[in-house]
Amino acid sequence: MTMAMTEPQVDKGFIDVRNIGVTFGANDNKVVAVENASIHVQPGEFVSLIGPSGCGKSTLLSIVAGFQKPTQGEAAVDGKAITKPGSDRGVVFQQYSLFPWLSVRKNVEFGLKMAGVEQSKRNVTARSLLDLAGLLSFENHYPDQLSGGMKQRIGIVRALATSPQVLLMDEPFGALDTQTRVVMQEILTNIWQQFKISVLFITHDIEESIFLSDRIYVMTARPGRIKAEIKVPLPRPRRAEMTDTPEFMNLVQELKGLIREESLAAMAPEIRDRGLSGFGMKVGPKGVGEIF
Amino acid sequence: MGTVSSAKVIAMPSMEQRPEPAKEVAAEATAKASPALPDLPAPALDPIPTTVSLRKVVRGLLAKITRDRFVAALLGGISIAALFLFWYFGTKYQLEFYIRFKNVPTPYEVYQQLTQVGLSNKYLYNIAISVRRILMGFAIAIAIGVPLGLAIGKYRRVSDFFMPVVEILRPIPAIAWVPMSIMLWPNNEASIVFITFIGAFFPILLNTIHGVHSLDGVLIRAGRCLGAGEGRLLWNVILPGSLPHIFTGLAVGMGVAWVSLIAAEMISGQFGVGYFTWEAYSLVNYPAIVLGMITIGVLGLACSGIIRMVGVLMMPWLAFAPGSKR
Repeated sequence: MTMAMTEPQVDKGFIDVRNIGVTFGANDNKVVAVENASIHVQPGEFVSLIGPSGCGKSTLLSIVAGFQKPTQGEAAVDGKAITKPGSDRGVVFQQYSLFPWLSVRKNVEFGLKMAGVEQSKRNVTARSLLDLAGLLSFENHYPDQLSGGMKQRIGIVRALATSPQVLLMDEPFGALDTQTRVVMQEILTNIWQQFKISVLFITHDIEESIFLSDRIYVMTARPGRIKAEIKVPLPRPRRAEMTDTPEFMNLVQELKGLIREESLAAMAPEIRDRGLSGFGMKVGPKGVGEIF
Repeated sequence: MGTVSSAKVIAMPSMEQRPEPAKEVAAEATAKASPALPDLPAPALDPIPTTVSLRKVVRGLLAKITRDRFVAALLGGISIAALFLFWYFGTKYQLEFYIRFKNVPTPYEVYQQLTQVGLSNKYLYNIAISVRRILMGFAIAIAIGVPLGLAIGKYRRVSDFFMPVVEILRPIPAIAWVPMSIMLWPNNEASIVFITFIGAFFPILLNTIHGVHSLDGVLIRAGRCLGAGEGRLLWNVILPGSLPHIFTGLAVGMGVAWVSLIAAEMISGQFGVGYFTWEAYSLVNYPAIVLGMITIGVLGLACSGIIRMVGVLMMPWLAFAPGSKR
């Protein structure tokens, strides 16, 4: 998996994460969140990171974003070591992170303003991005006037406004309802193809990761390690109908198997045993309450 | 405020007292308020600009008188009237039931007092002096309280350094500062402004700190990964994000500032509304006491009204915030 690093890099946006380890706390309270994880994203590639909750996938992303420093290992984008957050890496968060006091357009302009771009240029860029997101008519609204899907679309184009090389997305559609999610996934693939940007996408939704990605990393339960790397051979552009094809279904089955083992491993041993035995409830001498 | 209130009218058409003319008004209001309403399709604009007629303006005003507002105004009017009646009858029949109305001036006497002194330079000068003291003390409290609050809220070391002192000084009421203040400052004026400042300072400081602490961390992370450095983060994210709490601090601070000012003026003052009231008591001019009290009430009300208005103007987004009643 690390062999890919020797490949020639033409475009920008190469994420290289090597042997990352993250531990929280010290001595007796030490918790190993991530252990020896190595991932990479080629320029223009769409890569998902999937795993049970609490497996450290968000920790990996926040290391690439620069919010957090790893205990071991190194992370770099285009050969440059990551030390702090920066506008070369756009981030889309799970929670809505638009500034409620700024209009939609001013939100999209924010990164450009920080970069010292003059007002008239900011305006043009922001408006064209909002047009792309289909939200130009809402440019003067405040975020609180919009639905969750709209907010997340603005969150995506806001992250793209400073022309970053990579886009980091931390379960961006996790808070949306299923119908909106599906639409958002298609919008995202369109945007991704237009910008030819590298994407690192965190999710726990198997179908979502297959539909969007070129490649998927599966993480183990804590301590998080890379358990498997799966290529998604489905052709582009992806369409909603593809989710019914046998190739898609097979991938879903494969990933489900991998994830299920880890989800069970992440649970308490008593529950895990019951889970593996198909929840054939065995009630102990003191009743069901005993296991808790 | 205009567009917001007309948006409310649209939202409750059943509340309209005159449904027939209100429809037209609502259509006009939609055209005006359309940027504020996400769910409405863009209204087709009238190609011929309609002239503003007096009738339409009157209709527009009438449409805003919903039953809800009417009831609210009615209840408010009744409660104020009841207060006046209590005062009127109390003084008219000189009631005595534990509290004594014997020496309390009647509303008419107070009104006479107002017409006598109301135009006198002395009364107006006293008001001007008090307002100036409030403005100075309050402005200094904002100038120190908000930046310090942002710094304490943002940086742990600044907090470690300042908070012990804040916690020691905070429980001391501004009035208790009066003797010290007279010793401390070279003249009377400065010491009264200082006491007013003390009254406003702590509510502003603590609410600013609270505002920074309650700011959603994801907004700070978003600001940082959009390229904001420390200074710009403070100015562009943390300050606007804390504004709602800062304004709470300003409103509370303004109230405490008035309390402190009046007390200081009564104790050590020359001039000012508090001095006016206390002097009236010393001179056994009872109507002037009540006039002084009412003046203080009106001035305090006006000051908090101004703060609320500035808040609405500076934070238009709050009208759409979840749970907003505005």
